[in-house]
Amino acid sequence: MKLGDVMSAMHMSLFAQIALIIAVAGFALVVVSIFLARNREPFRRASLLPLADDAPAGTPGDRA
Amino acid sequence: MSTATMAASRAPGERMDRFVYDDAIVRWFLLATLVWGLVGMLVGLVIALQLTNPIFNLQVPWLSFGRLRPLHTNAVIFAFAGNAIFTGVYYSTQRLLRARMWSDLLSRLHFWGWQAIIVAAALTLPFGISQSKEYAELEWPIDVAIALVWVVFAVNLFGTIARRRERHLYVAIWFYIATVVAIAVLHIFNNLVVVAGPFKSYSIYAGVQDAFMQWWYGHNAVAFFLTTPFLGMMYYFMPKAADRPVFSYRLSILHFWTLVFIYIWAGPHHLHYTALPAWASTLGMLFSVMLWMPSWGGMVNGLLTLRGAWHKVTEDPVLKFFVVAVTFYGMSTFEGPLLSIKSVNALSHYTDWTIAHVHGGALGWVGFMVFGMVYWLLPRLFQTELWSRRLAEVHFWIATIGILLYIVAIYAAGLTQGLMWRAFDETGRLAYPDFVETTVRLIPMYWVRVLGGSLYVAGLVLCGVNTVMTWRRRPAQYAETVHEAPALDPTYVPEAAPGGFKRAAWHRRWEGLPLTFSVWVGVAVVTASLFEIIPMFLVGSNVPTIQAVHPYTPLELAGRDLYVAEGCNNCHSQMIRPIRAETMRYGEYSKPGEFVYDHPFLWGSRRIGPDLARVGGKYPDLWHVRHMEDPRSTTPQSIMPAYPWLARARINWTAVERGVAAQAALGVPYTRDEVTGAATLGRRQAQQIAAAVAQQGGPAGLEDTQLVALIAYLQRLGTDIKRTPRTAGLSGAEGAGR
Repeated sequence: MKLGDVMSAMHMSLFAQIALIIAVAGFALVVVSIFLARNREPFRRASLLPLADDAPAGTPGDRA
Repeated sequence: MSTATMAASRAPGERMDRFVYDDAIVRWFLLATLVWGLVGMLVGLVIALQLTNPIFNLQVPWLSFGRLRPLHTNAVIFAFAGNAIFTGVYYSTQRLLRARMWSDLLSRLHFWGWQAIIVAAALTLPFGISQSKEYAELEWPIDVAIALVWVVFAVNLFGTIARRRERHLYVAIWFYIATVVAIAVLHIFNNLVVVAGPFKSYSIYAGVQDAFMQWWYGHNAVAFFLTTPFLGMMYYFMPKAADRPVFSYRLSILHFWTLVFIYIWAGPHHLHYTALPAWASTLGMLFSVMLWMPSWGGMVNGLLTLRGAWHKVTEDPVLKFFVVAVTFYGMSTFEGPLLSIKSVNALSHYTDWTIAHVHGGALGWVGFMVFGMVYWLLPRLFQTELWSRRLAEVHFWIATIGILLYIVAIYAAGLTQGLMWRAFDETGRLAYPDFVETTVRLIPMYWVRVLGGSLYVAGLVLCGVNTVMTWRRRPAQYAETVHEAPALDPTYVPEAAPGGFKRAAWHRRWEGLPLTFSVWVGVAVVTASLFEIIPMFLVGSNVPTIQAVHPYTPLELAGRDLYVAEGCNNCHSQMIRPIRAETMRYGEYSKPGEFVYDHPFLWGSRRIGPDLARVGGKYPDLWHVRHMEDPRSTTPQSIMPAYPWLARARINWTAVERGVAAQAALGVPYTRDEVTGAATLGRRQAQQIAAAVAQQGGPAGLEDTQLVALIAYLQRLGTDIKRTPRTAGLSGAEGAGR
C-alpha cells in the first residue's frame, strides 16, 4: 500500500482541521508565554538595541 | 582614511575588540536601489501607456506588453526592493551585532552577482526567454545564479551572526533570518525543471500541482521578500528615526512567529474557484484571514513607536515616509485577507483590483519604507548633510499624490471590470457579451494611472537628484569610526530559564542561539508547506483523470512555447471558473484533469483580454492570422498588441524536438516515434494549417512560421473534453483534433 493510497482514503477536512489546531495552539502558546511574562526589564533592554548600536558597547543587552 | 574611535566601557577582565563597519557596500546597494528603481518603474510606465493604446509598443517585439510586464515586476521586486533589502540588512546587521560583515569578499560577490542577475533578467525577458511563472519567469541558468548568490548572502549573514559581539539577536535580525531561510526554500522548490535547452526548461510539476506550487511561491515571495525584510527594517530604522524604542518588544515576538507560521499557508487563495481542490482553497482563505492578527499587530507596533514623537513627523520627511509606509502596510494587509475571502475573490480575481492592491503595497509600503531609509542613510553614509530637506518633502508629497491617483483609478477600473463581466440584462443574458466593451470602459482610468505613475517616478528622480547632490558634498575621505566592544564569551552556556515557561525565558534563550532560532524558523516554514504540498501531490481525487485528454502535438507544443515567450498569459487566463457569468461567456468550466500535461500551467491571473481556455475551434485559422497581424482588424477597439513578426519568424524544429523529448522525460506519454519524429509530425501539421489558411483566402507560404504553431496551440485549447478518448499515437491532424 502506498502513502498516496492512505492519504486518498483519509477525509480531506482532516488536513485542514489538524493544520488549524496546530496554528491556533502555536499562536496561543506564544501569546500566553509572551504576555504573561513578568520579566519586562530584559525586553525593555532588548528594545533599546537599535538606539545604542553606535554608542559605546556594553550598555544594552545581556552579554555573557 | 581618517578615523575616530567610539570609546567603550570595559568590564574588568573583558577582552575588547576593535572593528570598523563596512559602509562602502551599503553605499553601493543604496545607489543600485535607486538606479534599478528608476529602470523598473519607467518600464512600468511604458506598459501602463501601452494599455491606453498599444501603439506605444512601436510594434517592436521586445517592447510588447507581454514581454515587458515580467521585466517590470522582476525589476521592481528583485532589483529595486532587493537592493533596498540588502542596503538595510548590511547597514543594520553590522550595528545590531556589533560586527563587520563576515567577509568583504562575499559582500562584493553578493553585490556584483545580484547586479549581474538583474542585467541577465533585463537581457532575457524582453527577448521572450521566460518560464511564464509570475515573479519566477527567469530561466534556469539565471535561477541557478540566484541560488548561488543567495547562498553567498546567507553565508555572509550567518557568518556575521556567528562572530557577533551582542548576545541578543534583535527582532530585525529574526526577520532577516526568516527571509534568508524561506526564500531559499521557495526559490528552489518552485523552480525545479527539466532542461530543454540553454534557455528553455519545463516545470517538473503539471497543471493543478504546478499552479499550487507557483502560488505557494508567489504569495510567499510577497511575504518573505516584500514583507519580512521590510518589517525588519521597520523595527530598526523607525526607532532610529523617531529616537524611541519599539513600542512593544513582546508584540514584535508575537508578530514575528505568527507571520512566519501563518503566511506560508495562504498561497492557495490566489486560486479560488479554479481547478484547485476546494480543501486547499479553503485552507488558504482561512489562514489568510488569520493573517489580519499579526499584520495589524505589526502595524500598530510600528505606528505606536512614534508615541511622544508625533510632532517630529511634521518636520521630518524621513518620518513622513515611514508613517505613510506603515499605514499602507496596514491597508494592504487588511485588503489582502479581504480579497482572499471566496465571495469577494469571485468579483476581484482576474481584475485590476488585484493590481491596485499590489501597487498599494509596492508603492506605499515597500517604496516609502525604501525612501524613508534612503533619506535617513544619506547623511550618515556620505558623512554630510542631506543636500535638500525641502526636495525630500516635495518628493514625499508628489509620490503620495501619485500613489493615490494610481490606486483610486485602478480600484475603480477593477470594480468596473468585475461588475461588467458579471452583469446580466433583464432577459438573463450577459449585459456586456463582447469582452472589449469592458476594456474600452477602463481606458480613461488607465490614463489616470499613467499620470499617477509619472508623479511617483518624478518623485524618484527627485530622490536621485538629492542623492547625487549629497554624494557630491561628501568629504574627500570618509572617516571610519573604530568601534570597540567586548567579544562574546565562547564558553557561554545559556542559563536555565529563570521562571520557566511563563516568564518567556525560552524565547530569550533562542534569541541568543541563532542556529536553534534559524532551525525553528525553517521548521515552521517547511511544516506548514508540507501540510498542503503532501496532500496536494498524494491524494488521487485532487486531479480526476479525463480519458479524452492527451498530450500536445509537437507543433502545438511549439505554439505553447511561443505563447509563453510572448507572455500571452500576462493578459489572458486559461481557467473558466464555475460561475454562471463565466460559463455563459466562455463555455464549460475548467476541470483539473484537463491540465495534466501542462508543464507549466498557464492559467494566468489577470484578464486584460478574454479567457482562452475554450478558444479552440471558436474561430477559423484565418481569423487568427488576421488577429495576430492586426487585432484591430478583427476587434476594432482591441488594445491587444499586433504580432506581425510571428508571420515572418521561423519555427526552430530542433528546439521542438528537444521540447518533446523533455516533456517525455517528465512523464508525458509520447511514444518513441513521436519523440524521434517530432519535427516531421510538426511539419506535417503546419502544412495542413497553412493550406487551410490559404484556402480560406489568407496568405500562402505560412508553413514553418511561428504564427502557424501558435494557431495550432490556440485551436487545441479546450477541445479535449469534446472529443472521444485517444486510442492511437499522434499523427498530424488527428493529434490536432482536426
